[in-house]
Amino acid sequence: MSDLELSVAAQETGREKLLPARWLWSAILPIAMVVLVLGFASFDRGVLSSANLLNVAQQTSYLALFAMAQTVVILTRGLDLALGPTVSMVSVGTALAMAGAAATGHDPSAVLLAGLAVGFSLGVACGLFNGVVIAMFKVNPFVATLGSYNVAIGVATTLSSGRPVQGVPTLFSQIFYGGSVFGIPAAIAVTVAVGIVLHLVLARTVFGRSLYIIGTNPRAAAVAGLPVKRILITTYVLCSALAALGAIMMTARTGSGEPNLGGALSLQAIAGAVIGGTSLAGGRGGVGTAVLGALFITILSNGMNLTRVDGYVQMVVLGAIVIIGVLLDRLRLERRL
Amino acid sequence: MHLPPLNRPPEKPMDTDIDPQLVPPLLRLRGISKRFSGVRALDRVDLDVRAGELHVLFGENGAGKSTLINLVSGTFPPDEGTFHFAGDAIHNFTPQRARAIGISPVFQEFSLVPSLTVEENLFLGREVARSGVLRSGQMRKRARALIDELGFDLDPSRRVDDLSRAHQQMAEIAKALLGKIRLLILDEPTASLTERETGRLFELIARLKSQNVGLIYVSHRMREIRALADRVTVLRDGRHIRTLDAATSTDGELVELMTGRKIDLLFPTIAHEPDKLMVDIENLTLTDGSVCDVSLHARAGEITGIAGLVGCGKSELIRAIYGIEPTASGTIRIDGAPYESPAPRRSLKRGIAYFPANRIAEGLALSRSIRENASMTVLDLPAFARFGILRQAVERTRIAGIMAQLQLRPPNIERPAGALSGGNRQKVMLGRALTRELTVFLFDEPSVGIDVGAKLEVYEFMKRLVEAGAAVIVVSSELPEVLALSNRLYVMHHGRIAAELTGAEKTEQNVLSSFFRDHLTAEVA
Amino acid sequence: MSTGLIAAEPRSATDLRSIAGEIGFLPALLVLLVAGMSAVDPQFYGTVNILNILRNASLLAIVASGQALVIVAGGFDLSVGAVVALASVVTAKTMATTAAAFPGNTALIIASGVAAGLGCGILVGLVNGFCVAKLKVSGFVVTLGTMSATAGVGLMITSGIPVYGMPDNFVKGFGRAQAFGLPTAVHVAIAAILVMVFAQRRTLFGRYIYAIGGNVDAAVMSGVSIQRHIVGTYVVSSLLAALTGILLTAQVGSGQASFGGDRMMLQSIAAAVIGGVSPRGGVGRVEIVAISALFLTILGNALNLLHVDSRLQPIFLGVIMVAAVALDELSRRRKSGV
Repeated sequence: MSDLELSVAAQETGREKLLPARWLWSAILPIAMVVLVLGFASFDRGVLSSANLLNVAQQTSYLALFAMAQTVVILTRGLDLALGPTVSMVSVGTALAMAGAAATGHDPSAVLLAGLAVGFSLGVACGLFNGVVIAMFKVNPFVATLGSYNVAIGVATTLSSGRPVQGVPTLFSQIFYGGSVFGIPAAIAVTVAVGIVLHLVLARTVFGRSLYIIGTNPRAAAVAGLPVKRILITTYVLCSALAALGAIMMTARTGSGEPNLGGALSLQAIAGAVIGGTSLAGGRGGVGTAVLGALFITILSNGMNLTRVDGYVQMVVLGAIVIIGVLLDRLRLERRL
Repeated sequence: MHLPPLNRPPEKPMDTDIDPQLVPPLLRLRGISKRFSGVRALDRVDLDVRAGELHVLFGENGAGKSTLINLVSGTFPPDEGTFHFAGDAIHNFTPQRARAIGISPVFQEFSLVPSLTVEENLFLGREVARSGVLRSGQMRKRARALIDELGFDLDPSRRVDDLSRAHQQMAEIAKALLGKIRLLILDEPTASLTERETGRLFELIARLKSQNVGLIYVSHRMREIRALADRVTVLRDGRHIRTLDAATSTDGELVELMTGRKIDLLFPTIAHEPDKLMVDIENLTLTDGSVCDVSLHARAGEITGIAGLVGCGKSELIRAIYGIEPTASGTIRIDGAPYESPAPRRSLKRGIAYFPANRIAEGLALSRSIRENASMTVLDLPAFARFGILRQAVERTRIAGIMAQLQLRPPNIERPAGALSGGNRQKVMLGRALTRELTVFLFDEPSVGIDVGAKLEVYEFMKRLVEAGAAVIVVSSELPEVLALSNRLYVMHHGRIAAELTGAEKTEQNVLSSFFRDHLTAEVA
Repeated sequence: MSTGLIAAEPRSATDLRSIAGEIGFLPALLVLLVAGMSAVDPQFYGTVNILNILRNASLLAIVASGQALVIVAGGFDLSVGAVVALASVVTAKTMATTAAAFPGNTALIIASGVAAGLGCGILVGLVNGFCVAKLKVSGFVVTLGTMSATAGVGLMITSGIPVYGMPDNFVKGFGRAQAFGLPTAVHVAIAAILVMVFAQRRTLFGRYIYAIGGNVDAAVMSGVSIQRHIVGTYVVSSLLAALTGILLTAQVGSGQASFGGDRMMLQSIAAAVIGGVSPRGGVGRVEIVAISALFLTILGNALNLLHVDSRLQPIFLGVIMVAAVALDELSRRRKSGV
């Protein structure tokens, strides 16, 4: 009997009794966040200033985008270690394309278009590679994306010679970083829009439904005639395309193509998804868990920055938080027994 | 060859004149209960097994036999009840403890590590070692001696994943017999053995009995029960029904106790009206060799049965038609048109549905709702999704209607499928059959793991399908089931069709003898 | 009598085939690479270059053999790179501190430093193992967490500045010394690999690791204690990573939190996977992982000598890794299809 089965069964037998407890468990992360914010605020009033809150929201929106990308593949029992390097590669590619187009005297909109086209193509190519290797050749997602991790790093550093790529038009930054929709900064607006669309895709489309079924029981999905391979490939392409979108937003913020932009993003995004409650065993999670996890991590590091906690100590705290997050998830599952 | 387990003098030499009733039994279970997923697998079951006795557990699939032997082997603890072995009360029972006190199980689902060799598997968990360093030479010698003594044709240095199912079964039996044993548990041990190997096993069983080893033996086969059993305990729906002396009980009595009703009452009478040729298979061979050069056909309006022992290729055959086992050669025609390189999605489009034997592994996404599980096979239809967007309102009403028709209890379709009993899970699977236009239905062991009432409903469901003009193929290891349901019955043996029986030829006797005939021809060839 | 003869022949044939199957094409590739490079560039077989290759390959092989053990048991250890760094820093710092307290007592200084370095390896391994085996948290996430935490502790201790102050005996007499013409790291690596090969093949521990990775349920049924052995794999992996950290420290002459890192972690996984350790668990041999580490090191060296942009090198690593596993999966499918 799998844990899953037992937990499901228990839900039935003790629904009434466990309902408040389960509600409490799912509220643990938001409560922890409020406590954190208040705790940090007692050290430094600045934490609650509107400028800082906006800053936190903006920071969160990038990480949330990547955590959503990661969640999509984690739902299918997968993983994308190459997400960070993909971000670097897209950043460099976009910047180079725009610098090149600008140098050859194209008009600004064509320059932007060239940048976006190259950026998204690189992202989609990376996702296609991951998806094909995982779905068609049955390579373990960890190993497959570890492979493309290396490839993407190689491409990013080679294209840029390891240096930031200059020549990104200011218009690009003005739109994707400085721009705003109804007064909401671009990054936040884009993430909210993506979040809503992705939520609808997961909840209301055949593709979304298939993701959950494949993650819950891949054999059953195949026997029921779901096009498992095609869906898996699409999933990895979607993940990398979202990563590319995030990369473009971040490139607009820095104003240059950065070969190290991705850095630790792969793992941060996984951490965000997992802390939020996405299950690495597949089939459980969504936009909500990704955003929640990203928000939590951002609040924690923002608070630690403002209260001048040593950067190295922050690494230790983050590491501990990741483990505690998964442990809580584990307990949450057992509570349902 | 001298071997500790077989030639060891009995622990307690017993005077055969003593009335066995007065000797405390080797194993004594009282009031054992066990629940899984809200389903009661065992309900206050009692069981006594005496030293030197072969005790058969008899019951339908899902009656609780495998839960019971798993409890006795220490796989999981009972929820309630007492457990005595050789007079001692046993608590906190684990597989290790079981081994240590001499309880040794042979399961159908093998406890072998595929990437290790036979010899490494035999000694797994009780290696001969000095301060953590393995003594391979000594183990090799003992493994060879044991296999020689058992008379199995088994190479101890082969990796288990390179072995055939029969050889894996031999390795499993050899593993159980290594070391000190006082109680041996055998779960359908002959399912994939040949007659000759079965003979060796029976000799071995006799020898173990003479050495005062107690045996629990799970089998459906009357012949084996007649040949081996001292006593038979009948289980039904997780309850202990009765324990009888094998010598004084009749086959009919046992079957009646097992099913809880007269056997002919269990199956509905189906009006077969063979019509159009729907499935026509010629010389089909599978890539893994499990099916070899098989030709068979099934018509609309009749149930075509396929009987055979576990591992004979009958499941693989219908799985190949549906497209989840790769074929090497041969042709499949559906409704007259050739069907090349089958795949589940295309099979459904052609009107073929498959109902897997293992509903947990291949059928259901347990943590998802009943609704999502039932509509899994129709997400490609415009009625359920347009331009990739689900029509959830339609889905809800359609599935709710179908589940009401199938009398799902309780009728809430938003509950996770994992919360359902075996019978209700099968209903969710059957519900898929009603969601789209289908003409060919492939049932793989349709009554495994469901209770008698639900079985009847499944049979009624098939009856309705056939009488509405569908072609139904039923694969089953339960002989009475395929005999009663099918209009025509194929018997498979070692990947080939051994016989095709219709009308009055369709008897248990003929099915069994067609296995036998196959052996004769094989030996002649 | 005659049956014995008949039986003997096909068996030796299958043995040959299975040996080829187990070792794979890696040694052939290695020979090809060495032969090709020797023909193209005489600098390749110069003593300096060969010693350099062997030194780097040794370090990678030690970490990779620990990683292989964890993967065989069905897990992953992402924390090895961070452990290399922590062990380096802790060893150097302990030696510097002990040297200040007991000046001149070289044996004590070295012993305390090495013990402290190995000790923190064991500690991280225990934390990993405890979380995975007892708390049943996914090994990937646990080691992801300890990776971040361990790296953080290493940086906290040093503030990112190299730690000096180790005795000359340790640096010149051990780290940079040679015996029988080979650097000490090579000797240590050979010893470590021999011990690991022995452990995998000839001990209960090794046998149980394969059983657990191959089929946990069967291992449980057979009475193998799972938790203890899972903890064991993580401890051995971290211990070997710590050993590598100490070797690096002795070689370079300072403790640095920048040693190891993500790169070492990724390379160790790559070496294990290319060396035939299946991410499905239950399959893989340390000696082939060592060959694989050597292969990867030579490949990197060859690309350098051929003036291939060092930034392009990860691409080769990535492609080879994916290809190796894809080939393995394809052959598995063909095997099961027969």
